[in-house]
Amino acid sequence: MKRSSHVVAVAAASALALSAGPGSAREAVVADPNAKVEYSGTLSILTKFGLQQLSPYFVNVAKEYEKLHPGVKIELIQESDDSVKGKTKTLVASNSLPDIYFSWTGSWGENFVRGNRAVDLTKVVGPDTPWGKTLSPAAVKAFEYNGKLYGIPLYLDAKFMGYNKPAFEKAGVGVPATFEKLLEACDALRKGGTTPISLGNKEAWPAVHYAGQLLAYNVPTATLERDFDPARAKFDDPGYVASLAQFKALVDRCTDGAAVNGTSYASSLQAFSNADSAMYYQEIIEFDQAASADTKLKGADFGFFRLPPPAAAKGDVKAIEGAPEGYMINTASKKIPLAIDFMKFVTAPENARVLSAPPYGQPSAAIDGASEATMNPAVVAGLKDIASASYLMPWLDTANTPRVAAAWLSSLQALVGGTMTPEAVMAEVKKASAADAKRK
Amino acid sequence: MTGMDHPVSAVAGSGAPRRGGLGTLPSFRWVAIAVILVGWFVYYPIVDNFVVSTTNQDIYTGEIEYVGLDNYARLLDDPVVWISLRNNLLYAAISVVFQVFAAFLLAAVIEGLESERSRRFWRAVYFVPSAISITVTGLLFYFIYQPRIGLLDAGLSALGLGALSRPWLGSEDTAIYAIIAMSQWQGFGYSTLLFGLAIQKIPRELYDAAIMDGAGPLRRLWNVTFPMTREMTGLMIIVTITGAFQVFNEVMVMTAGGPNNSSQVLGTWLYQQGFIQNEFGYGAAIAAVIFLVTLVTGMAQLWYTRHRRVQL
Repeated sequence: MKRSSHVVAVAAASALALSAGPGSAREAVVADPNAKVEYSGTLSILTKFGLQQLSPYFVNVAKEYEKLHPGVKIELIQESDDSVKGKTKTLVASNSLPDIYFSWTGSWGENFVRGNRAVDLTKVVGPDTPWGKTLSPAAVKAFEYNGKLYGIPLYLDAKFMGYNKPAFEKAGVGVPATFEKLLEACDALRKGGTTPISLGNKEAWPAVHYAGQLLAYNVPTATLERDFDPARAKFDDPGYVASLAQFKALVDRCTDGAAVNGTSYASSLQAFSNADSAMYYQEIIEFDQAASADTKLKGADFGFFRLPPPAAAKGDVKAIEGAPEGYMINTASKKIPLAIDFMKFVTAPENARVLSAPPYGQPSAAIDGASEATMNPAVVAGLKDIASASYLMPWLDTANTPRVAAAWLSSLQALVGGTMTPEAVMAEVKKASAADAKRK
Repeated sequence: MTGMDHPVSAVAGSGAPRRGGLGTLPSFRWVAIAVILVGWFVYYPIVDNFVVSTTNQDIYTGEIEYVGLDNYARLLDDPVVWISLRNNLLYAAISVVFQVFAAFLLAAVIEGLESERSRRFWRAVYFVPSAISITVTGLLFYFIYQPRIGLLDAGLSALGLGALSRPWLGSEDTAIYAIIAMSQWQGFGYSTLLFGLAIQKIPRELYDAAIMDGAGPLRRLWNVTFPMTREMTGLMIIVTITGAFQVFNEVMVMTAGGPNNSSQVLGTWLYQQGFIQNEFGYGAAIAAVIFLVTLVTGMAQLWYTRHRRVQL
């Protein structure tokens, strides 16, 4: 008996020791702009370009870099938009983050900064540095936390409503100037036998994107930003419920209704590309997938507009939902100067232009990274819209804490399915935020 | 002398123990590596999971806060845990009906066919779905359940039952049932095959004796086949119930737990908490519940089977 107790105690002690899994606190690491680059060894990078259409970009850039520096080997871990979330957290939990890794802005990136897992890049990518001068200042600033810069923006992203020009002409509708006109356009399109908007909400974040843009229109920006922080959040602005009521009206009048919860976003993009629907709310980085020489909807028939603001909007009607996306460098990396050098190569104008042009269509964050001669004209026009936006509304599911984001995601599915009212959705969001505030 | 002191050669009964070399190694050393590996890769993670479940961990900062049983108390107040538990129980109950009892009946019918060629054919027909990967099956059924254009709704419309059409995966009322139905389609044939093997091992004389006693097919099924396959039935019930509490891929591929968490099961809610919401301690508490449920189910069923075993 005594012996078995001893064995259990030893096992428990060993478990306790090893269960310190996430690792002890790390030291902050600041990048040195004068550090010598050693062109040798393997550099690992986790990208979000796992989709078949995008994956060749990093493969080709890595090959070019390896050709320039024969002592270097680039190891790519390429994930998709959805899988990169789980993959990143698994790598963090096992202290196996690669040298360079993908990151969104907002609370997603903040987690790495909070845990000292992202190198402070202020001295190498700041606005007055040679590299910083080649990148869009707003995009670089999007990765600013506590007054320091931690990310290298690769491309700009924002949400627009793509539309099928011939379908609009056939239904006799024009580009709507207000949200109310958009709903009227949906009625006209449906009367003509066309699904007005294809929406796939199986993954739940597509509904969150609609809600995010409508919140930017209906809720003052300062209030929104306050409410991103659970410690200060109130979610008491009437614009929240108004936005959700508008979104529900859009679901009912423009989409397949509750059925969209069982449809994936990829299927709904496909429906738009096949000209089976008249509109699809998409990111600018999806323009080249939505309409191309290989799709039924051709580039010439593709148009886009910003989700129109409601007539009585009380927020910022010039705001666009979107944010740059980029990469961070692991503080635990043994090759920080080499990682910085590789990212300089990735964002160099010649590579940036390749990224901005079809088939990738990811508008580069590099100032000289866009060439109107090679880019999809719609992407060029979209970039001008982004430049003129008064505020870039971050994605709700990356701006909020994970628990609040989860409340938005599941409750909006319920709103779409008709099992929750806008007021009930906000009650769930408030509850999640309050629980987070209590925990902190 | 304890078991640990037995020289291997003595155990093997191969004459006097040799001095030096492997022959002098105590038997414990022979199994030590296996014991260490099993302990490290099987039992240590179980213990560790219970330890983690008493903490709140931040994977980014590495901070660990010991919270005792708070995560278990939180389980009781989490409505999604109860939804998940209900869904797992539904999964288990429906799976036992189809993958144990219905599969047993089907196996009995197939094994009762006269022609060996027919038996082989029907075994293959029912087994094919089990050979398809769950991810592929999930995608296949995703298209079958598509509103309006999916095979199911199209079939209902063709039969004049269009009024029954609904967003099978998009509705909170039907999503979990749609997933469970797919799972039965896939697992049914595998269970049938295993029952078929068990039935084939029943001595033919028992059936001959039953026939001589005037027993009809149903009586033979109930009085011969069923008792003689009780161990397999017990095993299948354990496997099916534990499988129902470990279900993950089917749900992730088809609904990711939605809409509005209505199709969450404990496995997906664990994943959601750990890998999406950064709540690894709470996720470990959910994992502990899954472990305890499957452990108790397995032990109860083993006990029952041992006490009802038929000796020939």
